[in-house]
Amino acid sequence: MSGYVVTILTQIAIQAIVVYGLNVIVGYAGQISLGHAAFFGIGAYSAALLSTQAGMSFWTALPLVLLICALCGLLLGLPSLRLKHDFLAITTIGINFIVQAMFLYVPFFGGALGISAIPRITLLGEPLRGTHFLYLCMFCLGVVMAVCWLFTRMFAGLACFALREEESAATSMGISPVRFKLLAFMLGTMIAGLGGSLYAHYMRFVSADDFSFPLSVSFLAMLVLGGMGTLLGPLVGALILGALPELFRPLADFRILFYALMLLLMIRFQPGGILGESSLIRKRLLPTFLGGSK
Amino acid sequence: MQLLIEQILNGLAMGSIYAIITLGLALVYGVMRILHVAHASIYTVGAYAGVFIFHATGSLALAFLGSMLICAILGVLIERLVYFPLLKHPPYVPLIASIAVMLTIEEVLRLLAGPQIITFSARLPFPDLDLGGIHLSSTLIAIYVITIAILLFLWYLTTRTELGLAMRATSQDMPVAGAQGINSHSIVSLTFIIGSAIAAIGGILVGIYYNEVYPTMGAVPAYKTLALIVVGGMGSVPGAVVAALLLGLAETLLIGYLNVPFPRDALAFVAMIFVLVWRSEGLFGSK
Amino acid sequence: MSPLLEVKNLSIHFGGLHAVDGVDFSIERGEILGLLGPNGAGKTVTFNLISGVYKPTGGEIWFDGRRIDGLPPHAVAALGLGRTFQIVKPFPTLSVLDNVLVARGVDRYPGVSSLWTSWRSKKEVQAAMALLERVGLADLAKRKAGLLPLGNLRRLEIARALAVGHKLLLLDESFSGLRHEEISRLETLIRDIRLDGLTVLLIEHNMRVAMGLSDRIVVMEYGKKLAEGTPEAIQRDERVIEAYLGRKGEADAS
Repeated sequence: MSGYVVTILTQIAIQAIVVYGLNVIVGYAGQISLGHAAFFGIGAYSAALLSTQAGMSFWTALPLVLLICALCGLLLGLPSLRLKHDFLAITTIGINFIVQAMFLYVPFFGGALGISAIPRITLLGEPLRGTHFLYLCMFCLGVVMAVCWLFTRMFAGLACFALREEESAATSMGISPVRFKLLAFMLGTMIAGLGGSLYAHYMRFVSADDFSFPLSVSFLAMLVLGGMGTLLGPLVGALILGALPELFRPLADFRILFYALMLLLMIRFQPGGILGESSLIRKRLLPTFLGGSK
Repeated sequence: MQLLIEQILNGLAMGSIYAIITLGLALVYGVMRILHVAHASIYTVGAYAGVFIFHATGSLALAFLGSMLICAILGVLIERLVYFPLLKHPPYVPLIASIAVMLTIEEVLRLLAGPQIITFSARLPFPDLDLGGIHLSSTLIAIYVITIAILLFLWYLTTRTELGLAMRATSQDMPVAGAQGINSHSIVSLTFIIGSAIAAIGGILVGIYYNEVYPTMGAVPAYKTLALIVVGGMGSVPGAVVAALLLGLAETLLIGYLNVPFPRDALAFVAMIFVLVWRSEGLFGSK
Repeated sequence: MSPLLEVKNLSIHFGGLHAVDGVDFSIERGEILGLLGPNGAGKTVTFNLISGVYKPTGGEIWFDGRRIDGLPPHAVAALGLGRTFQIVKPFPTLSVLDNVLVARGVDRYPGVSSLWTSWRSKKEVQAAMALLERVGLADLAKRKAGLLPLGNLRRLEIARALAVGHKLLLLDESFSGLRHEEISRLETLIRDIRLDGLTVLLIEHNMRVAMGLSDRIVVMEYGKKLAEGTPEAIQRDERVIEAYLGRKGEADAS
């Protein structure tokens, strides 16, 4: 594999991990979250600080990063308890801006210069580069997918689905909205934080600019396009929207325009996602492959 | 003291501009319950159309009219081609579509006109005033006057005309309004036309005030105005105006005058969170 | 033996309106109590107060020896109180079976370790299918709930409520909008439920059904309790007749 392809795949893998986190919050629990880049950033900055300030390795820092993310997810999930829909959407945008502003202005986070000289991840004494790092990312992605799959099979996941479908009916069955919404935010943030940690050690430099609102939109777009609430949706979405800008690279100056147009067309005509319920793929292609309808 | 007054005037001007932009957003949200983030890019188109028409014809009046026309058409196209077909989907779908539209428009502007800042040095037909040593430029006066004019126009429209009544009915309940014989889709499109034309005015005023027109000038207002309509109470136009004026004052005074070390652009959201904690439907909103 | 449910001087006001005003009644174990009254009498509000959706502004609610007013709905459900909704609320994209499986988890959701067990185990599926059999929805188990017609959705509501309410069942207009055969099927089901030892509180507009099923009836009007007694007594009660006919008279006059 050429270095270029490895780079792209690594980025896609990391983004897919983050989008799996978003899928728990938005897809499983039905809470709108337009500030997911903030959670990604919290994971990245935690990993960056723990490795550069406290000298911890990626592995020893990881439980701590996950814990920090869980706590932040708990805190930043609180608005979802009182607000709904548009109010919640805008609040999550606000959270993105505020967290980003914190990274930029609070000196502890390095200000405009960010945090640099983050060490590579080492495994058995060897620093992981290139293809080996990609394997690590893919491994983490696999773990995340397995965690999500298990979650959907457990009562915790079922409770989240019920809340998403019809909150008042769910509460009449013993499901506490506070408990499970916050649980979803915690889990989603932890997963995004894992992605952030990988990102920090990959780029070896993080700054506030990396975690802005357009990135949150990008994550949500990946999730929506791949199919919210599905098991493969985040991966498919990350692949498509991650690969598109690269496919458009020959278009040079027109790249972003084509990306935006693609996004617009996809969301306009297939808003349920590629793998979603009423998508072309589900309706036409899958029945052909699987022989007849369900 | 003089500095304070000047800053207050600046803050009010800033707030007026926010109000003009946010108005369109509040109007649209009122009738369609869609977060029309792309509204900020219509405002940018307004600025560009204004500056180009002005440079081509030398007439500011033509610039305003032409720009309002172009933006009105653009606004209603977006509504019909993008938003209306997506109404039946969950709200984040039209939101993502709106962001994609905004990005597309920004890129088209950048490719057509270039990424550089274009100057818009025009003189609005208002006098410069000197009141007790405080200098008010013609642009500043223009902003106040035009904002008040727009507000009066909207007030008259919504409270004194049948059209306004239809708009209010549609914003309360689209199907019921439809049953009353009001063609709600026409009302919605008309709201977009009005809102977009107002955005055009805002774009030109900002272009002249700062003497700058550039492709991403809509980015920051785009998200601030979201916070503003929440603070104002979602579809409430008076709420949006009050929130906008307060934000303009707060930004200018707190950060420009008192030099509080706080990120300017996050202020809108922090204020929003405080308001939501205190009153979860916004200042003028209804439950 | 103390009553299963006791409502004492229950009140709630919204703004200036006393939606429920000083209502008292109780339900004995194993009985079917009908809650009747004209539109706007406060019946569904009373349900919402009992099931925890609303917090009363006055009075007390006692369930199985515990005071439950002010508890959130999920806490009330965990005590064995199940309910249906006047406007059906299925989980639309989940299958009929899965809808019931969600309700089956009522004992798990409050716990911590119980959350991390599989919900589609054989045992659970069997129990859920048994409930679906009781309400006659077994062959629709795999169908997506959002696609079902109203009659089936009402039965699904009951299946779910049965899974949750092993002590008390609150049925809110479960007969609304049903066809004739569906109504008699549902009546039989509710009588069966009572034979199992469950207690039922039902709101019902269909007079024939309400009178036929209920052991006792409480009539509400304008948020207050108007009358209480056996179906026969209620039918002869002048105040009740006045409340219903009086309304009807007004409607005819306007």
